[in-house]
Amino acid sequence: MKTRREFIQSLIVSVGGATALSACGGLATINATSAGSSRFYSTSEMALLGRLSDLIIPRTETPGALDANVPGYMDALMSDWANEETRGEHREALQLIAARLDAATGNFLDADETTATSALTELDAAAFDGDASLAGYRRTKGYIAQSYFATEAGAVQELKWVAVPGQWDPSVEIAREA
Amino acid sequence: MTQNNTDFDAIVVGSGMSGGMSAKELTERGLKVLVLERGPEIIPERDYSDQLTPWQTPNFDNIPQDEIAQHYPKQYGGVAYAIKESTKHFWVKDDEHPYEEAEGTSYDWLRGYHTAGRSIMWSRQTYRLGPQDFTANLEEAVGVDWPVRYEDIVPWYEKVERFIGIAGSEEGLSQLPDSVFQPAFALTDAENAFKQRVEATFNGRKIIPARVAHLTDATDEQRALGRSNCQARNRCHHGCTFKAYFSSLNATLPAAQRTGNLTMVHNAIVQGLDYDAASNRVTGVRVVDARTNETRSYTSRVVFLNASAIASAMILLQSKSDAFPTGLANRSDQVGRNLMDHVSSAGVSGIMTGFEDKTVFGRRPGGIYIPRYANVTENDKPFKRGFGFQGGALPLGNAGGQIAGIGREFKEAHRRPGPWRINVLAFGEQLPNPDNRITLHPTKRDRWGNPLALFNVTYGENERIMQREAVKDAVAMFEAAGVINITTSNAELSKPGNRIHEMGTVRMGRDPETSVLNGWCQAHDVPNLFVTDGGFMASSACQNPSLSYMAFSARAANYAADLIAAGTL
Repeated sequence: MKTRREFIQSLIVSVGGATALSACGGLATINATSAGSSRFYSTSEMALLGRLSDLIIPRTETPGALDANVPGYMDALMSDWANEETRGEHREALQLIAARLDAATGNFLDADETTATSALTELDAAAFDGDASLAGYRRTKGYIAQSYFATEAGAVQELKWVAVPGQWDPSVEIAREA
Repeated sequence: MTQNNTDFDAIVVGSGMSGGMSAKELTERGLKVLVLERGPEIIPERDYSDQLTPWQTPNFDNIPQDEIAQHYPKQYGGVAYAIKESTKHFWVKDDEHPYEEAEGTSYDWLRGYHTAGRSIMWSRQTYRLGPQDFTANLEEAVGVDWPVRYEDIVPWYEKVERFIGIAGSEEGLSQLPDSVFQPAFALTDAENAFKQRVEATFNGRKIIPARVAHLTDATDEQRALGRSNCQARNRCHHGCTFKAYFSSLNATLPAAQRTGNLTMVHNAIVQGLDYDAASNRVTGVRVVDARTNETRSYTSRVVFLNASAIASAMILLQSKSDAFPTGLANRSDQVGRNLMDHVSSAGVSGIMTGFEDKTVFGRRPGGIYIPRYANVTENDKPFKRGFGFQGGALPLGNAGGQIAGIGREFKEAHRRPGPWRINVLAFGEQLPNPDNRITLHPTKRDRWGNPLALFNVTYGENERIMQREAVKDAVAMFEAAGVINITTSNAELSKPGNRIHEMGTVRMGRDPETSVLNGWCQAHDVPNLFVTDGGFMASSACQNPSLSYMAFSARAANYAADLIAAGTL
């Protein structure tokens, strides 16, 4: 069993070209590959993104963001979808996040779980309590969450997403649904 | 050859919402019909993307940002909700299909060129016009009087409704008559609460399930066409493998095909209609092949233009002759004028509390509808005509990461339905104005040598005042219903064209001097020419218009078939 650190390190080399849109037959498929390095993120950016993803959406009874290869999804997002402006904003956001979290922990990537969680919780609270300078963090967190819930693990195992509901029920008791 | 030494009995230009219905009715009357479609063929097994899961569509199914800027600035700006990486082939590339706007004006011409046209991508809201919509022009001395009345079109509404399938509820409203319905998509608990509170506070206002062209109790006829009930996936803008929502491709074109009387030609861009002054007839349809640039002509006894209100008017304007120097059937100078759409402005949304222990199952393809009440049950309005609201109240659900917290709590928060959000958006009637028009650009041509459309369309004072009042009304209804955190987006009017209900460019009327078509959608000036897309509309009403386009198409097609059978066409 890999440690979390090893798992993040292995991601750095495994997500390269993480997604590719297969054009055959109109069936678009996201193909995680193991070749090469990431297409957009630097090694340090990928390490930061791995740790953020893991803390924000950890493995529970269902797979976490790292299990679902969220950094790989985002690497493709930035490579294939984003324009230069979006890429620049995202890079700046990661730099700001790293600076804030390193300032709070000494070194966010090396910090122990409790310290890292505490620092990120504080940053997150500030971002959602009106700190406009952290808009880039909110966007990054949005990418992480959207990526996770767009994966099969996130959609099916965590959200219980159903491809073909087959019916419309306008009134479902929460207890019944659970 | 037909008996008349023409290639076909009828040519239908366009295979979308109205063209499909024209083709169905004409072929079912035994006529040999050619449908000309300017775009490529859509093959559902290849081109629908409704079966793709979220994890099969990279980048959240978003089109790359640079590609949007290069190819889809207009289309994406207008319909970002529908144009995705896996649906972009249903929309034109703006750089390949440009158009021009008069200085100081802006127009959203949102469209797709392919089998079935926009009937593949429409949002399926389906309403009859009411009796008041056919008399308002006369009563208010606006535009020209409709040469038909509601009662004339009722049998054709019924015929079309039985065929296409509409989920809706019988409400008995005079201004929004009931259709032939299949079971409605029921209201959510929050919507029912909103309904009770609003209807108790505002006498005459109603909250009803949106009427949508989805099968919920498919008939034998619909099943015979391979159609089945809606599966509540709300993937409609990707096409529907279940053929549960109506499109030409799901219903009318297959119905026409099975008669054995349909010929369909794709990639055929109509450049003009040939006219013979001696016989006063359209004698040919000239096309250019979109792929090869080869030109050719087809002949028929009757021609139906169903290319959309804008393109059909353009075809007439391009068809100049000594007899019609400003365009075919344009003696009235009304071709291209009176271009209308529906007008929206700010959406109004808020939170409904008290439903935290409830959620929904399935993804409903519609919502609520608030039928027009202005100048129907409430007659104190500072504007003419009225508007309907579309909207809905659903759990806000997955917040896309935009909630505070990290870790297990944050992750699992996404499972919960969250607060219930309600929103409504007004769709208002636009008055006909002859100055709102399209013309042929004097110099600019597309890659096939056809003149570009030049739009000159602006909204008037009535639309501005109406939308201001609509937003005030929505806020008042929300407040009466106890909605909290009420917000309105912005107060700007929607761009003309943005509701994608363009109409009115070849209006029907009683007087050939002031209108292009008679009450049968037949050109006053040229008896074997019919236009049954939105061009015929003498006023826009406020209801989503596709059902009316189809009803008038069916009526006109059967009228033309009667004339052919009688030997008078």
